[in-house]
Amino acid sequence: MIALRWLVQTLVALGTNAYLLFPFGSVIYQGPLKAVCHPGLNCYSCPAALLSCPVGAVQNFAASLRFAMDGGLPRLGTMVIGYLGFIGTLVGRLPCGWLCPFGFIQDLLYKVPARKFSLWPPLRFVKYGVLIVLVLILPVALVDAHGLGQPWFCKLLCPAGTLEGALPLIFLKPALWSTLGFYFWNKITLLVVIIVLAVLISRPFCRMLCPLGAFYSLFTRMTLVQLEFIEGNCVQCESCVRYCPTGVAPYRDPNSRECIMCLKCLDACRFQALSFGLRRPLPAPRPRESSPA
Amino acid sequence: MPKKALWLIIFFTVLFILGINLGDLDYLLNLGNTICLSCIGVG
Repeated sequence: MIALRWLVQTLVALGTNAYLLFPFGSVIYQGPLKAVCHPGLNCYSCPAALLSCPVGAVQNFAASLRFAMDGGLPRLGTMVIGYLGFIGTLVGRLPCGWLCPFGFIQDLLYKVPARKFSLWPPLRFVKYGVLIVLVLILPVALVDAHGLGQPWFCKLLCPAGTLEGALPLIFLKPALWSTLGFYFWNKITLLVVIIVLAVLISRPFCRMLCPLGAFYSLFTRMTLVQLEFIEGNCVQCESCVRYCPTGVAPYRDPNSRECIMCLKCLDACRFQALSFGLRRPLPAPRPRESSPA
Repeated sequence: MPKKALWLIIFFTVLFILGINLGDLDYLLNLGNTICLSCIGVG
């Protein structure tokens, strides 16, 4: 399973960033595939990106909401919300574990030999704040005279945008150098911090800051597929906990909001106490037998 | 199939179709074809 996941992550990261003509053409890919969002975090300004970024799309719809409403355009971005909600309901955070290129980059960084640390658990709630404030509220609330907002998550925080979009573009387009200021250096600093953290802590960005992971995590208790815990087989060896990249204890909560469904725990468990498959509906409660009067 | 998941799938499918009919696809295509200056940190 681990080898299969590495293969899928590699193929998806390369396959969705497969535009190699950027040095000769218009710097970024401009074609019909950009109407489709990547299921993971992948900057659409990356010169090789074939797909759009879902977080960027949601923010830009939110940022243009007031402008569109004033102009009588009912453009709410429901296509992207529907797309992400559909994925979330089907498989929860599985895209984080299998399809997200930035998650893959963090997995590779964690392979670097160094002393490893665990994440302070309360920090996992920060990502919900990022989703609500930077992705949903600020782009609608802070608007200019024309009613247009800004994608604040991209502007202030997104390390995927800095790594995959900003750094290649400033090398490809030297004219951009003169425009770089506070926001660029702020993002470079954050990128360096996240890279260092990713060497020391498993998937720090996904667990602390990713708004897409926060959105998908809203569905983990009702997804069509799920991790199932078979209590009778468990010997409490905690092998699954040691292997989990997000610090989940599957035997305590197999449907944890932090679970990215990487399925490492399935490989780790030698007693078949965990399985993965379609969620079964809860059995209907049995009617009470009426006692004779 | 759990009922809640089924209703959510129907709900999000309706949202998706609604968005396509309201022109989200063109907006997204136009958005994806321009360089995101916020992503670079310009401004």
